[in-house]
Amino acid sequence: MNFLLSLTAVLPTFDLRELFDINEVMDFALLHQNHFKMILPEVFLATSVLVITLHSSLLATSRHFGFPLLVQNLNKLCLLILVLTILLVQNNSLVCMLTYQNIFIFDSLTLNAKQIILLSSFFCLLISENIILKQQINNFEYFILILCAVLGLMFLVSSYDMISLYLAIEMQSLCLYVLAASKKDSSFSTEAGLKYFILGSFSSALLLFGISILYGCVGTTNFDNFYLFFSELDLETFILGSIVEKALLCVAVAFFFKIAAAPFHMWVPDVYEGSPTSSTIFFAVVPKIALFSIFLRLFQVTLGVFGESFLLVLIFVSISSVLVGSFAALRQKKLKRLLAYSSVSHVGYLLLAFSANSLEGTQSLFFYLVVYMITNFCLWSIVVSLNTSANEEKSKTLADLASISNINPILGFTGVMSIFSLAGVPPLAGFFAKMQIFISALSSSLFFVSLVIILSSVVASFYYIRLIKTMYFEIKKNNPFFLQVNTFCSSTMGLGLLLLFLLFINPGLLYLVTQNMALCLF
Amino acid sequence: MFFLLDEYYPILLLLFVSIGLALIILGASYFLGVQKPDTEKLSVYECGFDPYEDARNKFDVRFYLVAILFVIFDLEAMFLFPWAVSLGQISSMGFWTMIDFLFELGIGFVYVWKMGALEWE
Repeated sequence: MNFLLSLTAVLPTFDLRELFDINEVMDFALLHQNHFKMILPEVFLATSVLVITLHSSLLATSRHFGFPLLVQNLNKLCLLILVLTILLVQNNSLVCMLTYQNIFIFDSLTLNAKQIILLSSFFCLLISENIILKQQINNFEYFILILCAVLGLMFLVSSYDMISLYLAIEMQSLCLYVLAASKKDSSFSTEAGLKYFILGSFSSALLLFGISILYGCVGTTNFDNFYLFFSELDLETFILGSIVEKALLCVAVAFFFKIAAAPFHMWVPDVYEGSPTSSTIFFAVVPKIALFSIFLRLFQVTLGVFGESFLLVLIFVSISSVLVGSFAALRQKKLKRLLAYSSVSHVGYLLLAFSANSLEGTQSLFFYLVVYMITNFCLWSIVVSLNTSANEEKSKTLADLASISNINPILGFTGVMSIFSLAGVPPLAGFFAKMQIFISALSSSLFFVSLVIILSSVVASFYYIRLIKTMYFEIKKNNPFFLQVNTFCSSTMGLGLLLLFLLFINPGLLYLVTQNMALCLF
Repeated sequence: MFFLLDEYYPILLLLFVSIGLALIILGASYFLGVQKPDTEKLSVYECGFDPYEDARNKFDVRFYLVAILFVIFDLEAMFLFPWAVSLGQISSMGFWTMIDFLFELGIGFVYVWKMGALEWE
């Protein structure tokens, strides 16, 4: 008995009643009101993921309703959820804030990046509805995974601590691995998922290794504390400088892997080719902006001290991405592989803008990224709409593009314009974006790098023009009939094409938005 | 660098204690136990099937499914213990965070149940 009494004395006292004390509930509410306001879109998205999980797992297994397929309904529901989340993000009244023990930051960079992420995933789902049906991915989990990936990306954008960064990266990439493998009866899809998983977890391990070394040297994981630490740091007296440098290199390599920059790009073509097209569209377009904004935020903090050596790494990766992307794409016959290599080369341009390390450079990076996303939407919706009754199941090759100008002139015109925009031909937004990047690189006196990248973009425009040649000048003897293009697809294409023209004529709005985003980092 | 090493002292202690404990347990069962080996006892213990076989065989994925589910719901318990011990110090925020976690885990459980992952046959 005595023993029991002493045990209860040792145990912390806890009264359940005080949890429901109305005063404390009020305090709690007041204390967390502003924090909660900032995180409301994420909370909404997470809640809707839970509701969808419950709803569809109950409905899809119910004998009463005859085991219904929920794919089409869930697609519409996800579109609705994404629109509502965009509205919630937009309705934010606060300008800049650190929340939850400084692990999340909310400023105009996160605000705009989140809107771009949500909008692009909206259009992804819009384009891919038809293919999801055609590929017979009948799992309702597909949509839950997409929403989870979007949630992870939103957390990633606003994370301000190494721990929340790592958790958010893991959340989004775990969802992407499963999305890559989501066509269970295709061995290509399974292979793509497995490859993505193994290489991705390797890079995550590298990230974690870098973070742990950084923590060992600096003693903190928070970006704010990093900033305080590094801004007053003198490299001459700091004995751990070289170790911190290597830790930052590990973290950077993990990021290079995730954004598919060149020496770490090996997974990209295989994963893009093997995964079902709907998933490929998602991870070709959506995650890059989140990864780039957090990458920039992390390295802006440390660039003041470790600038010299890190910029060298950045320039090397940038040049090699552009070279690999340009030369390897020359030999590709399949459209998805071609687009994969082209995305590698575009990451090279983005890293060139990053290594300019100036406000203009960062601004041009975001500008280029948004224009690249718009162009990619056009291109992927063309890849999706190249269906004839004969090749519906197959992976599309360059030969499928032949004489598209005869069969469907509008589709052909959209294709040509978006390819010209990727190559950077004047009356289109792609030219403006590329010009900005080169101007900012030249004003940071990166002359040699800019020269190499401009020269290899000549090589890249060779294969872009070859695509156009196939579309317009290779006439098939008997033209195949294309199946009808999905309305959502065609409207996305039209919108994208319009934006490509309008952003060349008047880039003001996008310029303002990207300027806002870049200003948060300087 | 050495000023940091102080903080790792408990971990060093933990390392020695765990090595010692492992040696004691293994050694005690090795020296004190009655040993009458036969083929069944000496064979490797692995759930459900023979460990040394041709790799190109069908195997039952249900073991893995159960193992994964076990890991998930076991982790829940692992989070519950420190939460329960420190409940006095954390505010109502901590309490409701855990309740939220359990709620979400419950939804996951409903999903697993409804998809038939818990049925053996």
